[in-house]
Amino acid sequence: MKLNTASEVISFTKKLEGDSAKFYKDLSRRYAKDEGIFLSFVKENEKNIVQVERAYYGVITDALEGCFAFNIDPAEYSFKAELAEKVSYSETLDNAIEIEEKIIKFYSDAAEQSKSLMADVPRAFKMVAKKRGNRQSTLKSLLGKED
Amino acid sequence: MAILEEPIKEVEKLKNYINGEWVESKSGEILDIVNPATQKVISKVPMSTPDEVNAAIKAAKEAFPEWRETTPLARVRCLFRLKELLEENFEQLSRVQTQEHGKTIDESRGETRRGIEMVEVGTGIPSLMMGYNLEDIATGIDEYVIYQPLGVFGHIAPFNFPFMVPLWYSPFALATGNTFVVKPSPRDPISQVKLAELLDEAGIPPGVYNVVHGGAEAASILTEHKDIKGITFVGSTKVGKDIYKKCGEVGKRVSAQTSAKNFMVVMPDADIAGTIPALMTSFFGNAGQRCLSGANLVIVGKDDAFYNKVLDAFVDTASKIRVGYGLDESIQMGPMQSIDGKERVLGYIEKGMAEGAKLLLDGRKADIIGDYPETCFVGPTVFADVTPEMTIAKEEIFGPVASVMRVKDLDEAIEMANRSNFGNANAIFTSSGKAAREFQYRIETGNVGINIGIVAPMAFFPFSGMKDSFFGVLHGQGRDAIRFFTESKVVIQRWL
Repeated sequence: MKLNTASEVISFTKKLEGDSAKFYKDLSRRYAKDEGIFLSFVKENEKNIVQVERAYYGVITDALEGCFAFNIDPAEYSFKAELAEKVSYSETLDNAIEIEEKIIKFYSDAAEQSKSLMADVPRAFKMVAKKRGNRQSTLKSLLGKED
Repeated sequence: MAILEEPIKEVEKLKNYINGEWVESKSGEILDIVNPATQKVISKVPMSTPDEVNAAIKAAKEAFPEWRETTPLARVRCLFRLKELLEENFEQLSRVQTQEHGKTIDESRGETRRGIEMVEVGTGIPSLMMGYNLEDIATGIDEYVIYQPLGVFGHIAPFNFPFMVPLWYSPFALATGNTFVVKPSPRDPISQVKLAELLDEAGIPPGVYNVVHGGAEAASILTEHKDIKGITFVGSTKVGKDIYKKCGEVGKRVSAQTSAKNFMVVMPDADIAGTIPALMTSFFGNAGQRCLSGANLVIVGKDDAFYNKVLDAFVDTASKIRVGYGLDESIQMGPMQSIDGKERVLGYIEKGMAEGAKLLLDGRKADIIGDYPETCFVGPTVFADVTPEMTIAKEEIFGPVASVMRVKDLDEAIEMANRSNFGNANAIFTSSGKAAREFQYRIETGNVGINIGIVAPMAFFPFSGMKDSFFGVLHGQGRDAIRFFTESKVVIQRWL
């Protein structure tokens, strides 16, 4: 079922960030040498939730089209938060990069769909998308250094 | 999507808040407060006795001298503490509104945010309440004006925004040094009880803010009491006019926001994709139960293709609105707040059909998401081929019913809207600055939207209105509210 209301999309954002945090927490345990990087991602996930929620709760008013702002299919952006067994580090990193791609797409789509309706919310989505882009670059830089 | 947790779990009889105490009413007349979506009784409200209403007014009167002498800075510190408490309790307050009123959680959060914004503006009173002066109006003589509070103000609240509407007034009244008595709507008074609890926690002195439950009798006592200096009211034109008349006879101040019939004018050059969501919120947000709701959709132009494009998009989008319990996050429209409200809407649907309008979308057949009784639900309803003479084009329906009309040009649209008895909030959707300017200039309405579906003024602007949509001179919110709650005293001084 598609997500139409702002409330739904904010809840979905929290779910995505939560799933992503779990993924990187597990990653930090399995690959201790890059633990610091992955734990910084977990921390950033928490900040992303605060940033988006703060924007939503700060601008939502009865005059905004909060109930009609989105047309998001959550299936497009969902991913498995569990780490696959018996895969190499580089395969895991590839998977993480793919996950980031989905999450960036979610934030970009959400920003685009709500840009004329939800005041500061699209800007918050865009900013998180940018941070996710930086994270993706960090993950790519780890590829090839996995030994 | 899961249903968000309901904050009210036990049925309690609400108490009055008088002189800083929670006081049980002695009234034998107790009404059920029903969650309109689930039809479960969630609380009980007493119809307070005349003595209890009088006690609230007396407490407010006795608290006035000391509160007036409290410095503006100290008064607004109380509002700063309230603001913090409102933020801390934001989600709970919002869910209470959904539970007692039925609106969606997005709408309730929007209402909470709007209410908080009033408190934020009220905290600016030390600057906003300043008077002005001029030296040497004659040699050695200076003149200045000071703004002083008047005493006790009463507020008679509507059911459609149970949390926000009293806040259009109370932060301004309190910050300027007046005392206040609120009579919430007996249909959904819990939000005002929660607000009073937070004001109490914020340290409002006893008697400065009072809540007394009741219906028409309590409202009459407030209106007619000699110790009440002014009344703020939001509700129907019939009642607002009556209050205005009664208060006028004895020289009381009145600010009465009343009924509406709003025109949403769509020009041939409008951005359809951007306009449709705005129209959905306008016509069907809060289930159409607000004085800013779109009621008449006026499509401009002789081009059949454009007319059909707008109409088809409007009906198609409206038909997909998810109707259900507002604590389900996926819901886009909740129920009517009461059975009476639904009955009224059904009556207008019948009338529209009888008078020859074409029913394109029948809200009586709407699918309700979830397992809820249909008691208060009615879905989005769209009539086409509506003419200005039809009842559904003229009277306030206060529900999710859109009357679609067609005119040849902007002139005809403006003239049609200006013939309405009401003047609350009309809007134009266009990409032409010239058309927008023409509309803004000529339209007889207090609030004007340009590509905005819900023309809700921010807390620092007055919530305007004219014709049969407003009775009084000064409106709620902004500078108007500050002037409403203060008297200007002019001093001319010469020192010999």
